[in-house]
Amino acid sequence: MVEANNPDELRSKRKAVMALLPYAVWKERDGQPKMLNMFLRAARASMTLEFRWHYVDQFAGPLFFKARPSAIVLTSPHVSLELLINNPPLVRQWAVAVSAVPYDEEIARSVVNELLWVASSSAISRFITADVWSWLKRRPTLPPTCWGRHLGTSSQVVKVVRGLKDIELLKSYLLLAWSEWNTPRDDGFEEMRVSIREDFCGIGMGRHQTDLIQHLDHVLGELGWGLGYLKQDKPDLSEGQVQNMKRQYQQLREALLEINLKTIARTSSCLVVIPSCVLTQATRIESRAAFMCALPLPCP
Amino acid sequence: MKKYDEDLNTTLIFVSVAYGTWVHVLTQSQAGLFSAVTSAFIIEVNSQLQPDPNDETAALLRVLIHKIDNTTFGNDPPTLPQWTGPPQTIVQAQAILFASLSVSLFSAFLAMLGKQWLNRYASTDMRGTAIERSQNRQRKLDGVITWYFDHVMESLPLMLQIGLLLLGCALSRYLWGINITVASVVVGITSVGVIFYGLVVTAGVASESCPYQTPGARILRCTLLPALPVISKFSAFILSKSRVLIRGTLCYRVVELWWPGWRRPWYSTLNILDYIIWTLLLPIALVADLLRLGCGIVLQLLGSGWMTYRQLVGISRPRRYISDHQAIAPDFRCVSWMLQTSLDRVVHLAALKHLATTTTLAGFDPTIIVDCFNTFISCFSAIGNQMVVAQGLEQLAAVSTLCFFNTISHILVLDPSSSVLEVVGQRYAKVFPTHADFHRVHQFPHTLGAIHNLFRLRHGGPKTFQWIAYKPSAHEHTIVAHNLVKLALLEYERTEQMKIPRWILRFASHSLSLDPLPPTSVIASCLSIVAIDLGCDLSDAKSMTPDERWVHI
Repeated sequence: MVEANNPDELRSKRKAVMALLPYAVWKERDGQPKMLNMFLRAARASMTLEFRWHYVDQFAGPLFFKARPSAIVLTSPHVSLELLINNPPLVRQWAVAVSAVPYDEEIARSVVNELLWVASSSAISRFITADVWSWLKRRPTLPPTCWGRHLGTSSQVVKVVRGLKDIELLKSYLLLAWSEWNTPRDDGFEEMRVSIREDFCGIGMGRHQTDLIQHLDHVLGELGWGLGYLKQDKPDLSEGQVQNMKRQYQQLREALLEINLKTIARTSSCLVVIPSCVLTQATRIESRAAFMCALPLPCP
Repeated sequence: MKKYDEDLNTTLIFVSVAYGTWVHVLTQSQAGLFSAVTSAFIIEVNSQLQPDPNDETAALLRVLIHKIDNTTFGNDPPTLPQWTGPPQTIVQAQAILFASLSVSLFSAFLAMLGKQWLNRYASTDMRGTAIERSQNRQRKLDGVITWYFDHVMESLPLMLQIGLLLLGCALSRYLWGINITVASVVVGITSVGVIFYGLVVTAGVASESCPYQTPGARILRCTLLPALPVISKFSAFILSKSRVLIRGTLCYRVVELWWPGWRRPWYSTLNILDYIIWTLLLPIALVADLLRLGCGIVLQLLGSGWMTYRQLVGISRPRRYISDHQAIAPDFRCVSWMLQTSLDRVVHLAALKHLATTTTLAGFDPTIIVDCFNTFISCFSAIGNQMVVAQGLEQLAAVSTLCFFNTISHILVLDPSSSVLEVVGQRYAKVFPTHADFHRVHQFPHTLGAIHNLFRLRHGGPKTFQWIAYKPSAHEHTIVAHNLVKLALLEYERTEQMKIPRWILRFASHSLSLDPLPPTSVIASCLSIVAIDLGCDLSDAKSMTPDERWVHI
């Protein structure tokens, strides 16, 4: 079924596949990760947010306390958020497991997905440690359909990330959150604009602005390919969503350009006072990049 | 067995009189007698088998007298008689008498052996568990059936009856040579006895409820009654064929040609020609018909005879009965017998524990479900929707629940339309309410819930059923898992390969989440359940044992 890559069939048989999850975790603990890998492949191939079975939630307790850290991290996205909200010890245990696992693209993807998901709940977001937040900086590629993307653009998450006062982390978060696969939530969108104006405005932010603008250019470029192209990886996407995404990301880009111009202007006024020898090489590059970004977008 | 014992006692008493008398007479006259009554008669007959010394003495005396005075006997001088052997009548009578005696002695011999066999059968081994003793008893009973013990025992009275008939025949034959009037009385009474016996046997064959049953009647019923339809069919076949056969003969054609000649006047010259032709052709036609039709009839008879024989062998009741009886595994009959006959809860517990350890239920008798169910419901009572176990019956309730679940699952898979299921289902519905709550049954609420769902599968679908906190023993877990695989297959087929019931899938998920993991057989069963739901072809898994399934997986 997994080999056939039939998402509909996988979705219809998710309960049967989920029934194997506990056994796969125990086998992984015994040094046989084959079944767990197969399970994860099936979950990915199903292309659904809801690849879970609430009955398996009862297994979460043993899973989070007895399984190996890698198994905890990889399977945690298949546990319901309600269960985690009602069981903060599980979140703590997950955070411990994340701290213990070595970096791996697959694991990073799972950690960030779960991280954004947990962060969307004010009740448990405080249990996320700085170690866990630091995984955002690795910027893994999240799957087109996942709860991390879906819930990770809420104002709650944006506020939490901003609250960490780490501009690199915030930039990484925004680079992950902005993608051609999901529309930022309305409240999260507003919070992002506020963040752009407040957090990325100032001297020394030019580099971050440039990165964000370049990323938005890339996203808008992808969206420009049209719905048919995007549906290959996310079948449930609609034309309305695509248009909404284009509009939102365009607005975010404009906001970024606006503050970028302000930054350049501020930098220019400073140049009058500050001798040119004080200007760093980096500032010159940022300025040049900002001017380049202000040019009209190339058509795909 | 008690009946046979009494029969043997009667036989032995009857024969022992004869046997004692016979031994006594044997020492006296070196001859054999059948009974105290017949012994004198046999001695009397036996003396006539030898030359009479008194006759020889009288002849010698006559010769001596003739020597002294040759006028005593006139012109007819006495001669010594020559012994030419006993008269034919005496020989025949004596032969029949000894045949009668031999038959009765042989039956006495068998009766003595039979007593020993019965004593051995009745002896009970006091060692071992109730199950072991019961198995021993079951083995003996199976042996009795397999080795036609009842037929041998029933043949003893029949042999005595034959002996009596022979005695009557011998007496009639002997007395016929001496005095016909006296012989007529004996022949008459013997004939009345034979006719009476014939009527009794006929009545016994005709009606099974007739109280005058004899061994002969039973044998005839077993062989003759099944043959009656065959015989009538055969007779009808012969009658219908005979007309066609006759019309098809050459003789019939010759007679048909000759028949118009009767209408001609007697003086017609054509009559002479007809007569010549007829006398020449008829023998030839007859021989040809005999050759042609005779072979055909013989072949038909052989075919019909073979068919009759096959039918007789095929429908002979005792053989079929034994065949069915042997198909049922002895352990199940043993357990069933213990549950039915014993009122002791300890015995019930031992029997059910044994049943619970039986991994394969091949060849089980569906009636054992009713026996398990009887014990099962006797352990529970309902307070509203709450089910509670009767005090002191906790262990029996647990074991009987498991056994009932095991057997009912088996029959659900094996024969979903079984009448036993209907009966048990109706009785179950009377005892257990639709929304029965098993939470007060702390030890095994899950197995009870599973049983409840099994009945709801048949009547309206199962209710939501959780396996949370289900931690059974390894043995119970194996049995439940094994049966749920079979039920999953059944339901998957019933729903046209759509899905299996979720409560069964939950069982698999729960079992696979246990830490430490359950036994391998349980894992195999759980993986099978998941595989069935995923659409894997596991039709072979239905007949596999848990261990075989593990190897298969």
